[in-house]
Amino acid sequence: MKPTSPASIWAIIGASGFIGLRAVEGLHGRHGVAVRPVVRGTASLAVIARRRLDWRIADPRDLLALTEALRGCSVCLHAAIGDPLQIEQMATVAYNACAAAGVRRLVWLSSASVHGQNPEPGTDESTPLHERHLLAYNNAKVRAERRLEKLSAKGRVETVRVRPGVVFGPRSRWLTNAAADLRTGRAGWLNYGRGVCNGIHVDNLVHALHLAATVPAAAGHAFLIGDTEPVAWCDFLLPIATHLGFPATAFAAATPADHVAERETPFAALTRSHFYQSLGDHVPDRAKRLVKSLAAAWPAHAAKPGAWTLPRPPATAPSLTLEQTLLQSCTWKLPHAKADQLLGYAPPVHFAEGLAASLAWLDFAEDRR
Amino acid sequence: MNHPALATSPVSLALVGCGAVSRLFYQPALRELQRHGMVNILAVVDPRAEARAPLAAAFGAAACAMLDEALALRPELIVIATPPALHRTQAEAAFSANCAVLCEKPLAANADDADAIVTAAARTGRLLAAGHYKRFMPAHRAIKTLIERETFGPLLEATLVEGGKFSWPAATDSFFKPEQTPGGVLLDIGVHTLDLLRWWLNDPVDFTYADDALDGLEANALLLATFASGAKVRLRLSRDWRTENVYVFRFARATVHSRVNASNQLEITLDGLPMTLAAELREPLPISPAPPSRALETNPQAFIAQLVDVCAALRENRSPFVPGAEGAHALRWIERCYAHRTTLPLH
Repeated sequence: MKPTSPASIWAIIGASGFIGLRAVEGLHGRHGVAVRPVVRGTASLAVIARRRLDWRIADPRDLLALTEALRGCSVCLHAAIGDPLQIEQMATVAYNACAAAGVRRLVWLSSASVHGQNPEPGTDESTPLHERHLLAYNNAKVRAERRLEKLSAKGRVETVRVRPGVVFGPRSRWLTNAAADLRTGRAGWLNYGRGVCNGIHVDNLVHALHLAATVPAAAGHAFLIGDTEPVAWCDFLLPIATHLGFPATAFAAATPADHVAERETPFAALTRSHFYQSLGDHVPDRAKRLVKSLAAAWPAHAAKPGAWTLPRPPATAPSLTLEQTLLQSCTWKLPHAKADQLLGYAPPVHFAEGLAASLAWLDFAEDRR
Repeated sequence: MNHPALATSPVSLALVGCGAVSRLFYQPALRELQRHGMVNILAVVDPRAEARAPLAAAFGAAACAMLDEALALRPELIVIATPPALHRTQAEAAFSANCAVLCEKPLAANADDADAIVTAAARTGRLLAAGHYKRFMPAHRAIKTLIERETFGPLLEATLVEGGKFSWPAATDSFFKPEQTPGGVLLDIGVHTLDLLRWWLNDPVDFTYADDALDGLEANALLLATFASGAKVRLRLSRDWRTENVYVFRFARATVHSRVNASNQLEITLDGLPMTLAAELREPLPISPAPPSRALETNPQAFIAQLVDVCAALRENRSPFVPGAEGAHALRWIERCYAHRTTLPLH
């Protein structure tokens, strides 16, 4: 491994996730940056290990472990995901670990959902945040940002909060879920997909993260980040359908009342409960993994077995999640003027180009020829 | 394949390496053989006390930090389930102590070491078995028969897609460091698949290979191979993203699907028949009215079958079903792949 100066080492927490992995691959070796991936467990290294990198294994909720993992780093990009309680907890731990390890700047990957999936027209970074969102995830992101603001007001670590919208690209759930919905006959949209899609290609987000980490004037700010082009949901969904050989009619018309609560399971809901969280360290990791695997295996809409059923039932009604319903109801293109002006943000990937590359990845991942 | 219960005394053995493969595979398999009096587990070996203690307790065996301690107990068989870089030294030590060896895949860290292990076994006259247990799966044995006997005509082409998001509970990150583990997904899960391809079709006459390693270990790999029979094979491996996990064989008169690790199942689509036969593989029925026969080995039972075969080979003084040389051949092919690798597009 090539020696690097301590000033150029950037830790990426959550480095095996969709965005974290892209940041690792997009930033390492560029702009004089040596990336240090930080992941929760060894299994998370499988794709990161395509490069020889100086990684660390640390739970992003473990202050001591994370502090050790961050030593020698000048910048920390936090892209780890978790349930709502973990999101809040990770913000505090990340800040304190950065402070203890001497990290200069913490770039916190927040979300445009701090403004809701369907923000009021006129919303920008100056719009006050609230914690009355329907989705617990949004409220957790708001509380995490507030914790960081409070901590950085008294501490020495600079913080920058980056708020992307719908991030798409290789390995994005927006892409793979859409493909899965089309294939299972569950695809649907509101108002023919005319709602505003506040999308951003993952490489544009990585570009923004780099700016957030390096531009001195960014310290203390939050930035909405998106693609430049105005995009409707049909602009995003129809090319996916066409690419996979489905007609536009594959998307059934849905109404806001059609949505299911969340794309989650009883076990997944249990893991998010205060009761489960309060068990904390008393539950062995092995037991937690077992519960998680059970949750993953739990069918979202378990069919009741019965002898007197059609062998091939007709297509079911679309089942948009509440999140999808809110997103597709959106009428406001979130601005990124503040990022343009303060960071010099200029997204390098055009929407059509990014979507085509994403579909090429889908073909590769599914071995479609 | 018959695996008669051993009529003679149990085979005494030591399990070397107490990592994930020992916990998840060897522990339940050996416990079953122990329960039936087929093996006597003398010792487990691992330098980490916290790793060896639970297995030692489970087997009622001695917990040894070093291989020499276990060899001093004079086992007949050493099961090596350690990182590949240790296989050669440990196998040679076992042969020197007059032990037989069942070595987990890959047989060694590289083909030269694998050849050295095979040579050492031959020189000392000791049994060496390669841990390619997937040859014991009934579906894979059926495919070999279908190819060899051309039951549905000659095999024209095969597409094998295998892997998914990596979830193996590796104890350390050595699994992902090239200096300790000299290959990625091709070496990890591909060593089984390449071994099967060689078993079914012999060595390829031509192949191309590509993967997505930069200066580390690949997470995706693509192999295109042509065999002497004319059959063309496309193999796609991933530990990055979920795949269909299926092998598809296109014969002249039928298509056969074999789901990865669905050990005793096949799906057969006969040309001209507008439906697919999804079959559980069972012991053959006589040509007369008879009750249903027993299902053949599941995935765990195929793993157990390998251990039974090695024990039986020891007692019967014969070669194991998968001799060590086969493990060396698979590794040699893998090294040729790496030597001729091109780069997959990075998305």
